[in-house]
Amino acid sequence: MRVGKIPGQVVRLAIVLIASLVVLLLVRARFVPESFGETGHYRADVVPAIAAQPIRYAGMQACAECHDDVAEVKASSYHRGLTCEGCHGAAADHVEDPVEATPAVPSGRESCLRCHEYLGARPTGFPQIIETIHNPMEPCAGCHDPHEPTPPAVPGECSACHRAIASTKSVSHHWSLDCETCHLTPQKHRENPRAHLPEKPVAREFCGRCHDRAAESAATVPRVDMADHGGRYPCWQCHYPHDPEGHS
Amino acid sequence: MNPLYEHLESALQRVSGFIYPNEVELHWGLLVVIYPYITGLVAGAFILASLEKVFRVKEVEPTYRLAMLTALAFLIVAPLPLLAHLGHPERSFEIFLTPHFKSAMAMFGFVYAWYLMVVLLLEIWFEYRADLIAWRKQSRGLKKLLYWILSLGSKNTSPEAIAFDRKAVYAITLIGIPSAFLLHGYVGFIFGSIKANPWWSSVLMPIVFLFSAIVSGIALVLLLYYITSMVRRKTPDMPCLNKLATFLLIALIVDLSLETLDFIHRLYESEESIEILRRLIFSKLFLSLTIVQLLLGTIGPILMLAFARFSRLPDEMKRLVYFVAAALVQVGIFSTRWNVVIGGQLFSKSLRGLTYYKLELGGVEGLLFGVALLVLPFVILYVLVKVLPPWEDTRPSEST
Repeated sequence: MRVGKIPGQVVRLAIVLIASLVVLLLVRARFVPESFGETGHYRADVVPAIAAQPIRYAGMQACAECHDDVAEVKASSYHRGLTCEGCHGAAADHVEDPVEATPAVPSGRESCLRCHEYLGARPTGFPQIIETIHNPMEPCAGCHDPHEPTPPAVPGECSACHRAIASTKSVSHHWSLDCETCHLTPQKHRENPRAHLPEKPVAREFCGRCHDRAAESAATVPRVDMADHGGRYPCWQCHYPHDPEGHS
Repeated sequence: MNPLYEHLESALQRVSGFIYPNEVELHWGLLVVIYPYITGLVAGAFILASLEKVFRVKEVEPTYRLAMLTALAFLIVAPLPLLAHLGHPERSFEIFLTPHFKSAMAMFGFVYAWYLMVVLLLEIWFEYRADLIAWRKQSRGLKKLLYWILSLGSKNTSPEAIAFDRKAVYAITLIGIPSAFLLHGYVGFIFGSIKANPWWSSVLMPIVFLFSAIVSGIALVLLLYYITSMVRRKTPDMPCLNKLATFLLIALIVDLSLETLDFIHRLYESEESIEILRRLIFSKLFLSLTIVQLLLGTIGPILMLAFARFSRLPDEMKRLVYFVAAALVQVGIFSTRWNVVIGGQLFSKSLRGLTYYKLELGGVEGLLFGVALLVLPFVILYVLVKVLPPWEDTRPSEST
């Protein structure tokens, strides 16, 4: 089966190889969609197919065209980043027929708690409540206008917003310390919390004011040698300041 | 209670420190441990086989064909753990139809196909072609047909044709060595390039993988050669075993040096992850890394091989020591894969907490399925050895 100067075994292998390639090309022609690769590593036809699906959401601008008064209030509130349909549900049909299709109006506590129930992973200072403690059973809208959710009165205590921290601290060795012992807090923080953040300790020496061997604090306060205790780590690497002995 | 919550509750009792919710459960389990272990055996067995063809190490000639068949048997099984882990194996051929050149994982199909089709199958075919023709002549019925198909109908056993086969084997082995490096270096590359994971992200990873592959491949062929000789009631060729032991010893020392270099480099760099890695090594991985991988799987075999190789032990004793050392190396290398794959997922990206991994008995990700996948290559090898006997003393072409 020699072809010219090509040995027979190579010819046989070449036949197998060519047959495999032909099979691959046939399979490719059968299975790869025609529009694959036109606009990227995917089937281009999928874009019009997705675009052809019925539209369910109208978008915030559509709501603002009729409800401009509500949109104006919301635009200057803490909820300015939220879309209307995030709470009221998909409303494209309402835009089409405002009388027949009316969007939902959440009335209980459940939908607010999706964002405002206490969760350790949420950012510090984000308004969070423990549902069973914060005015139980009361609908949120009784006190907070969802379009302008700033509390009706400026909170008097830190625990009004930082409930979880306050609860943790209350049963820790730091129970007797005021929040302001460690956090110098501008008065305006209570009115506009994010624009005026409280200060936090930044160095180990701050803890050393009470806990260093040379500190002038009560004799019952635990002491360490700040020079060699914990190496170069800040104290809060190991001791959570709101519960320094880790009871919670 | 919802069974998912129940599962989460029991899982959360095993984690320590702070970990993100999506890190409690490991995504890559036993199957992903088996995958690099098996590809490593393939690459290692092939590199051992190439010693005889390219570097003319005559002593290891008796293991050449066995090593090639071993590489093939394990290569056939290599993608199965991945297919089982990912699910929907019937869709896997699509990566060949629409190749994605920017994705390392999507290119695996091509690396695999190249190695299987262009390197292993071709080399085995050229190596066995004359024998296949001879076996076809000696056989009848279905067996004759099988050998006819395997030889692709080839009939030419002239000295020129056989000389061409030898040249072809040499050329393919030359291509095969970088290909074997590519195959297993690729697996290391996948882990080494995950920059968000400090346990994996290291440029040394492909090299460390490669040398551990060579170690495991040599050890496996040594074990198989010893066991098959025992089963066939033949005395294993002692110069061959001695040479294998020497190569295994050298590969182990290089592997240990590279791992130590990687370790010292991490310690010296002392990045922010070093603290959690220290906790990982001393708690979750203490048994599998320090005891099994380092002491039992590396230092132990190095001492045993060095002692047996350069002492005046009787041959029977030497063989026994080699056998035990090679078996320990297998356990050690499996442990290495375990420590890389499982270890890399046991700590949180927050670098503040550790999670756990509990191997299940049943199911696709379970122990039994894993064991079945590890046994399967030996079953395939048994069939291959029956169809293509690799033994020197059963070569028909020698007599023709």
